[in-house]
Amino acid sequence: MNFRKLLTVLLALGTAVPAVLGQVKPEIQLGARGVMSFNANVVSGESTTAVNDFSDTGILLGFRQKLYNLFRGQLVIGMQFPDAESDLGQVFFHQTFIKVEDQKNVLKMGRTRVRSALIEFPTLRDDDALLFTDVLNPFSNGENTEDNQYGNVIELAHVFAQRYWVRIHGEHFTESPEPPATSETDFSLNAIGVSFEYRVPETQIWNRPFVQQLGVGFNNFLANREGGANRANQVLKNVIVSAILNLRPDPVYFWDARGQVIYNVGFDEVKTLAGWRDMARARSVAAFASLRFLYRKLERPTLQAALSLGYKTFPELLEKTRQTQIVANLFYRLGENFDAVFQIQHIQFEGSLRALYGRRETRIQFGFVYSIDQSWNRQFDDRESLLNLEHGYIP
Amino acid sequence: MKRREFVQASAMVAAAAFFPSRLLGKASKEANAHRFPAPMEPRMDGDVKEFRLFIDIHQQEIVPAFRIHTLAFNNQVPGPEIRVQRGDKVRVLFENRTELNHTIHWHGLHVPWRMDGVPYVTQMPVMPGQTFVYEFTAEPYGTHFYHCHWGTLLHMQAGMYGSFIIEDPDDPIRKKFPYSREYTLVYSAHDVNFLREELNSMLERMKERMYLMKHGRFDKERFAVFDSKEEFVDAVEKGYLPPYVVNRRAPDELPQPNWFTVNGKSYPMTPNLYIKQDELIRVRLINAGTEEHYLHLHGHDFWIVADDGLPVPQPWQCNTIRLSPGKTADIIIEGKNRGIWTFHDHDTRRVTNNGLYPGGNLLALVYEDLPDEETELDMMAKKMGLNNLPLVALDE
Repeated sequence: MNFRKLLTVLLALGTAVPAVLGQVKPEIQLGARGVMSFNANVVSGESTTAVNDFSDTGILLGFRQKLYNLFRGQLVIGMQFPDAESDLGQVFFHQTFIKVEDQKNVLKMGRTRVRSALIEFPTLRDDDALLFTDVLNPFSNGENTEDNQYGNVIELAHVFAQRYWVRIHGEHFTESPEPPATSETDFSLNAIGVSFEYRVPETQIWNRPFVQQLGVGFNNFLANREGGANRANQVLKNVIVSAILNLRPDPVYFWDARGQVIYNVGFDEVKTLAGWRDMARARSVAAFASLRFLYRKLERPTLQAALSLGYKTFPELLEKTRQTQIVANLFYRLGENFDAVFQIQHIQFEGSLRALYGRRETRIQFGFVYSIDQSWNRQFDDRESLLNLEHGYIP
Repeated sequence: MKRREFVQASAMVAAAAFFPSRLLGKASKEANAHRFPAPMEPRMDGDVKEFRLFIDIHQQEIVPAFRIHTLAFNNQVPGPEIRVQRGDKVRVLFENRTELNHTIHWHGLHVPWRMDGVPYVTQMPVMPGQTFVYEFTAEPYGTHFYHCHWGTLLHMQAGMYGSFIIEDPDDPIRKKFPYSREYTLVYSAHDVNFLREELNSMLERMKERMYLMKHGRFDKERFAVFDSKEEFVDAVEKGYLPPYVVNRRAPDELPQPNWFTVNGKSYPMTPNLYIKQDELIRVRLINAGTEEHYLHLHGHDFWIVADDGLPVPQPWQCNTIRLSPGKTADIIIEGKNRGIWTFHDHDTRRVTNNGLYPGGNLLALVYEDLPDEETELDMMAKKMGLNNLPLVALDE
């Protein structure tokens, strides 16, 4: 049989076999989030406006099904509109991963959110306080925030007693190419980490009234350090500690507080900040905390107000360098999953940071957020449903 | 049932299903006996027959390798059969061990109206941890059932139903048709995806509500309960959005059943009806589900002898009976045609398991005096390594 005939047969088989066997319909998941805001910025006294900021708007498509044993498999593909000046193009594919899981183990491979933070904060956009809330990517040039949030990840998690999560993860964080190169060519492992987390499943929020989350994580970047005597001291180490506490776990008037501290051990030789790489490699301590009030009128969120404060210091620099941020926002629900939002944030820079960011920046935003989360062909339950948590897990 | 007993029973059931040559054997018949709701023994308190029912969340294996979470009376689906004599004084202590609200409605019984089990009409719901005492006199005679009347669409298909049989020493049906054995078949239909999502949603909602109840904070709009229609209309005019407008519940579509059970099991785990040549058996049919069933018996015409528990003045014969939701019917089958005969819904969409035929409410009328040689297979079947009829076929 010549090659052309063989190819014809193979192609015929490829289309015929699925038609004969049929297939179990996968569960199809659709998530979408539209964030539209009018922005007014005042940077060191100079004001600018953006008529329409739609960054962070994105769509996620997921497919999930049971495997032949106790495992489940999932594919997620997602894209997002990055910031206009991000240099990532009009659309950025921020999620493309496969997940395989059973009751106690989760393996995730692909491009997805890196473990640069243990918890999320109530800000309008995920990166509104990124300098405080995330471990910074030392391989990036800081052109965009996505380099810090998304990377090529392989992560294995194990769940003990339903609420203790141990995660081991390795990443390839995006490395900004050195000119004249225009794109990355090396996608090898450049970070490894581990985290341990106590987390109450969201469905049991009324059962565990006070502590919702406690976590500690270690992120290690396999950096290229000039003058590093060995591999070990070329590793840039970050430690993250986090907590979420329910101050008033009331179904109608709900108050909670959350905080996270990131300690970047840094490299001793970084004494000034000439750019992003130095900022990510200098010793620093970043703390961010939020107080949130949520009013739920008819078992649905009606109004949310949050106040967040951030403080970051670089203790080893020659010049006293620190930054502070305050973010206040209000979400008011106009309909199912549709919110009107107002946010004001102010950030202040001191020391070496002033040359990079100016003295201060104030941003006022108002707009709308619409997010949906739908699924079709649902065939099995989630790990953290009340039935599976409290009445025996069904694979 | 203790775990060991459960394991033993399951093993017997499995053995019966996969070694069909034993269909007429002792082990198979014993396993089959477990597939009917066993009558519950009452405790006598003077002249009152007292029964204890509790409700809890339970895992039910509808067929091997497929389990679902259910709401089960006394950890079984259907709940235990309550069987009393006409005129008996009956007391049922109903304990709610779930975090959901429930009631029990005595379907077809003439109970005092405050015992009828309709929440907010005849009684307040039986809330988590509470016990409610139902008392009534057993009337009228016949085949009836009981079921939860709170969140009925969900709670009934989740398994909250059981047969309630009121006997009469002067049973007119037995006089006319002197049967020696009787069987109870409780039919239901389940959208297991709706069931799972709605049950989770209800549990989540109730955790919030229990928190508020514990602190004495009842809000009529939040609980969606009003004193009168006028008060409700007034609230809407002032801006209240009823649940059906904001759709506070999880699934936003009506259930589409994809599993069909008899006594809590689907084919091939459904019960068989055993009969002997020239024997009369009585079969009590109860439709506790939301779907209509058109039950057809092969090779026989059976007698319809009771409708909703009431003896029909003039029994008549047919071979297909329409069983609407909420309906009960009693039939008498005469052992006149030796063999193994299927008895199934002739709306064959209900003879499926998750869309795959055969399954669902398919079961068999089995002549237990059937000679072995009549169940032998032909040469082709023997070449396939099979033994004798009836086989378990899962994919035709």
